[in-house]
Amino acid sequence: MASLQIVDVRKAYGPTRVIHGVDIAIDDGEFVILVGPSGCGKSTLLRMIAGLESITGGEIRIGPRVVNDVPPKDRDIAMVFQNYALYPHMTVAENMAFSMKLRKAPKPEIEKRVSEAAEILGLTKLLDRYPRQLSGGQRQRVAMGRAIVRDPQVFLFDEPLSNLDAKLRVQMRTEIKQLHQRLKTTTVYVTHDQIEAMTMADKIVVMHDGVVEQIGAPLELYDRPANLFVAGFIGSPSMNFLKGHLQGGRFVSDSGIALPVANAPAASDGKPIIYGIRPEHFILDDTNGLSAEVSVVEPTGSETQVFAKFAGSDVVGVFRERVNAKPGQQIRVIPDPNLGHLFDEQTGKRI
Amino acid sequence: MKAVGLRILFYLAVVLLALIVLLPFLWMLISSLKTQIDIVAWPPKFIFSPTLQNYYKVFGEQDFIRYFINSTIVAVFAVGVSLLLGLPAAYSIARFSQRRLAMVILLARLMPGISFLMPWYIIFSRLGLMDSYVALVLSHVLITLPIVVWIMSSYFETIPLELEESAMVDGASRHYIFLKIILPLSGPGIITATTLSFIFSWNNFLFSQVLSMEKTRTLPIAVFNFLSYADIDWGGVMAASVAIMAPALVLTMIFQRYVVSGLTMGAVKG
Ligand SMILES: Nc1ncnc2c1ncn2[C@@H]1O[C@H](COP(=O)(O)OP(=O)(O)OP(=O)(O)O)[C@@H](O)[C@H]1O
Ligand SMILES: [Mg+2]
Repeated sequence: MASLQIVDVRKAYGPTRVIHGVDIAIDDGEFVILVGPSGCGKSTLLRMIAGLESITGGEIRIGPRVVNDVPPKDRDIAMVFQNYALYPHMTVAENMAFSMKLRKAPKPEIEKRVSEAAEILGLTKLLDRYPRQLSGGQRQRVAMGRAIVRDPQVFLFDEPLSNLDAKLRVQMRTEIKQLHQRLKTTTVYVTHDQIEAMTMADKIVVMHDGVVEQIGAPLELYDRPANLFVAGFIGSPSMNFLKGHLQGGRFVSDSGIALPVANAPAASDGKPIIYGIRPEHFILDDTNGLSAEVSVVEPTGSETQVFAKFAGSDVVGVFRERVNAKPGQQIRVIPDPNLGHLFDEQTGKRI
Repeated sequence: MKAVGLRILFYLAVVLLALIVLLPFLWMLISSLKTQIDIVAWPPKFIFSPTLQNYYKVFGEQDFIRYFINSTIVAVFAVGVSLLLGLPAAYSIARFSQRRLAMVILLARLMPGISFLMPWYIIFSRLGLMDSYVALVLSHVLITLPIVVWIMSSYFETIPLELEESAMVDGASRHYIFLKIILPLSGPGIITATTLSFIFSWNNFLFSQVLSMEKTRTLPIAVFNFLSYADIDWGGVMAASVAIMAPALVLTMIFQRYVVSGLTMGAVKG
């Protein structure tokens, strides 16, 4: 186990620059998730940590050691690939033993570790099978098993669950989390699924177009997104945004609707502002609420999603209460004044 | 209606193609069982009393067994050397996209073999290697190596890169990956390359004709021997041809399944 430091790391493929100076500090034993939209450079960054891509600029340190020029095989990491990359001509046991065999570990030791890992992952009965004789979920476990037999400094995962069906994905999410709590190995996990990120991570790194937008604990990102991108990316359904400006401690939308804002900075009066409110932070309020025209109502049982026109914009609200409105009807809602987010329209930064 | 018509047309085309390919072979097989008189008879005789006389001649009068052994030695070594050199070369072409190197190798294949003959003749005779297995094997490698490189480089490209990357992270070196991951997964490709290059070497006439003499003469030359008599012994030629083709044919039939899948395996991914 080790800490991992990523210092001003850059990557360019010829003239195309894909990562523009990324800084991430990962503590020993931390579970960090890189999340971001497709093409933002998550896999590239992970592969640079693994040594599968060269580092154009900056420094990556595993523990105290700078690994920029260390080949993958000497970095003491384990990686789980999206398509698992199991060796088709080796049995499950051989797949799992491969890395230890390469490190010339004594045979009894290898056998012990493989059977331990198989035990943890419920693979004991499958040890003699070949990958082609396994289901998708079983293959996924073997890929994990291959990573954990060796007790490396760092685990790297590149979208390990994206080939599984929804139910299995939820189950594996929990299992990976439990595995980490048990092994406490420093982990960097890539996904574009923000729910995976929210539920599993100690720390989330939100990336966008090759830069880090924000680093923080899941709820920190949720409660205090540093900018519009993070605000819109984290959370599902995503945050609603209204355009307007501040005036006398209230937000006034471009359509002229005024919304209460707790402790609005007085100095920002008149400046173009984007007001953000999460769907679940709308309150149904027949007396003080402002009217919203309902377009779609989607009850899920535990809660109700309502798509509506509010203050001149399309918004979505999520309510624990049942909402009996029909499309075209008006409901009265008000954003929780304490839970609105304000962003500078020009820079996108949180105010 | 139209579909049925097309279907009939398709089968007709298949039969026609098969006939074009098979007829000469059938003709050869039948003629090898005829006497000289029956062979030249006109109109061609389809009912005749078959004789093995031509085969006795091939195996008896000529030193056929020796030619056979020579051909085997040359083909086996040419294929062996080609695999030894060609597999790593193909791997490097596939993984480091050295298209230019691949072109150079293909070029050697595209140039008519005869353009290599003069330089070789001079080189080998200066080195005193005329009529040696070494000279013959080296010349055949010119034919077999490009086949191996070409088939195997496109085969290697179909093996997912993640397998290698995973092995690298697991601690394997490039050599180890090549030997323990890539090669074990390349069976069909290697069988294809081996079969095809073996057949090409086996059937090669030109190089053997010039570079070999009494000692290392190969099978195709044996056929030629029947032509060099005052009058051409067609029966002998046909029997010798059948005897020469047999091993290649058997080889192809055994490995046909792999050869076809090996060839298309490379073809799917351009
Ligand atoms: N070999 C390459 N040459 C040029 N550009 C590349 C190369 N590999 C990746 N890129 C570019 O780098 C950017 C980041 O790619 P990367 O694979 O890291 O994205 P990602 O965040 O993992 O996306 P996804 O969620 O789709 O996997 C992309 O814009 C991609 O086009
Ligand atoms: Mg990716």
